[in-house]
Amino acid sequence: MTKFDEQTAQKLFDKNLITENQFKEIKAYRALHIFSLNTELKLFLYLSVLLFTSGIGILIYENIDTIGHIAILSLLLIVIAVCFYYCFKNSKGFQKSETSFEHPVLEYLVLAGNILTCIFIGYLQFQYKPFGEHYGLATLVPTIISFFCAYYFDNKSVLTIGVTGLAAYVGLSVAPQDLLNNNDFYASQNLSYSAVMLGVLLILWTIYSNRISLKTHFNLIFLTFALHIISIAAISNLTNYDTMTWIIFAVIMASSIYYFYKASYDNKSMSLYVFMIVYGYIGANMFLFRIFENVDFSAIWELFFFLLPAYFIGSIVLFIKLIKKFNKEITE
Amino acid sequence: MIVYNKKMLDNEVLRDEADVLYKGGFISKEQKKFIEKELSVLKSQNNILVRIGFFLLGCLLFLSICGAISVFGLQTEERAYLQICCYLFAVVGFIGAELLSAKNYHNHGLDDAFILGALLNLGIAIAISTEGYEAVIAFFVALGALFMFLRYLHLPSMLVFCLAATAFLFFGMFEFGDIGKAILPFTAMLFAGIFYFLTKKRISDIKENYYYNGLLLANSFCLVLFYLSCNYLVVRELSMELLGTEVKPGTDIPFAFFFYVFTFVVPVVYLVQALKTKDRIMLWISFLAIGFSIYTIRFYYSVLPIEVALTLGGVVLFAIAYFSIKKLKEKESGLTFKPDRINHTDNFLNAEALIVASTFGMKPEVKTVSPMEFGGGGFSGGGSSESF
Repeated sequence: MTKFDEQTAQKLFDKNLITENQFKEIKAYRALHIFSLNTELKLFLYLSVLLFTSGIGILIYENIDTIGHIAILSLLLIVIAVCFYYCFKNSKGFQKSETSFEHPVLEYLVLAGNILTCIFIGYLQFQYKPFGEHYGLATLVPTIISFFCAYYFDNKSVLTIGVTGLAAYVGLSVAPQDLLNNNDFYASQNLSYSAVMLGVLLILWTIYSNRISLKTHFNLIFLTFALHIISIAAISNLTNYDTMTWIIFAVIMASSIYYFYKASYDNKSMSLYVFMIVYGYIGANMFLFRIFENVDFSAIWELFFFLLPAYFIGSIVLFIKLIKKFNKEITE
Repeated sequence: MIVYNKKMLDNEVLRDEADVLYKGGFISKEQKKFIEKELSVLKSQNNILVRIGFFLLGCLLFLSICGAISVFGLQTEERAYLQICCYLFAVVGFIGAELLSAKNYHNHGLDDAFILGALLNLGIAIAISTEGYEAVIAFFVALGALFMFLRYLHLPSMLVFCLAATAFLFFGMFEFGDIGKAILPFTAMLFAGIFYFLTKKRISDIKENYYYNGLLLANSFCLVLFYLSCNYLVVRELSMELLGTEVKPGTDIPFAFFFYVFTFVVPVVYLVQALKTKDRIMLWISFLAIGFSIYTIRFYYSVLPIEVALTLGGVVLFAIAYFSIKKLKEKESGLTFKPDRINHTDNFLNAEALIVASTFGMKPEVKTVSPMEFGGGGFSGGGSSESF
């Protein structure tokens, strides 16, 4: 590729689009032949944390009756203590804005320490039941620890663990794979309402943290979770038999789409915008379907087949316009 | 052969370069905006999410057009229509691709849907006509895909071409009966090796960069095929599948030693070569190959119990990464840990949080299924999920 890179910079220079100084600087930089392993090595660190914690998790699960409980617990505690010792020692303390460690390894130590803490508490609860029958509390404690670590050490991965923990406390599973093939919402109406409540809560939290400018770069994660939770809960309830219920959720859907339309512009986030459109499109189609479901189309169903391509062309044109508008606004 | 305006394709490259330079901090934002205004380009989508969205919409449109045609066709002559319908659909895909390219859509998602749809229907059509003669299907799909790549500069088509060409080689070898099947690994290896050097030669020879990415893809594909062709696991499972031979305890497949050596030497060679030539694609292929080699061994010999292997693997990987970072941290040129100003991607770092959420996210209490069944990333977080 280097061959063409040189040429392109040269062409830009020839067309007078970059200045001579800039061109020289670019040339000098390329002459260093930098081959950065930054991403690869970080990926290795990350994989190592995943492997290690999964290994420990399975190890405990399989040998839950054979190795001494105290031995396992104290071993875990030592590893956790070591992880957090290094993290606290090298951290710059709590800051309201975005921070990072001097050394990239520490970021992954926080993650490892946090996951191990969750395992530790889970194991403790399983074996000694310090929280008794209050299973909710056993979920809430690791959640609080996760949020503390996420905010103190500024770690997004840990933050997502915290959010899933919060949802688990409400009774939801919001891990991405569960959101995609969920059946929970069909099972109980209350769960859908609590999902919407959780989503609203997350949104309110982002508004509040914006106001006091507390870790505003976390907002995108909260909003992403909120969008998916609310939209999926609303969509699965749009098929509800009860007319009242599906109309309520259609209203919820419409207002959440409106909010996220605004929010994606404010946050300049393409992913939020795209998912908002996708959910909006699905929701709108289901809404149309629900309205027409009692009308008898049997006489003109062939016409329907010819209208369909036109309908899709219409939606494609609409989406192209929407995306273009968004792109134009966020680059300004 | 290329359907697009060459001036616009050139502009696209220049614009991308301007974008890279802006991100690297070499030029200012105003300058980048000025460049974008000066150079008119094709309509393409850089954001992968948007592209997937338009791809899905394009598929819906394609399907609905095919449905409308079918309503006509099924009413007139049902049997004859079913014979030719897929050819018709392929033509629809081709016309769609032609129309979109005339409107300057390139790598937009919509054109992907029509081009890939045309190829898929071409394959099905020929399968219907020849009653499922694999070699012929693979041949025509490869031909179609190559045409699509050359005309629309469509990268996924190049991938389809590579796969179809490999399939053609395989099914062609099956024609020779058991001998063909037995020497298949070596033929595939030879084929991959030859084409690797051919494409490499071609890449260093080309003057214009329109076909550069496609050739690079084919080149990388050859590397992958070369490794897989003589990987022990692939050879053993395929020979069981194709020749019906059973490997009894105490015996092994013929040339087992060669395949074992191959499985372990090739990834290392890739790794060393990649670091030497600073070839990022080859580096990633070597990582994946090393991973697959480890999987190969664990597939036949359970060296360590899975949990110990995971834990130790984690520790070893951590040590490797830690010491590499320590060694590379202060270097300013060549191999380094410092983020590259020009080719820096942090897409993976953004995906990181998502993976954590899916493997370690906490689940609500009262779960009937054991959380441990989710493969490698077994532990499902906070506490009470284990209470059954």
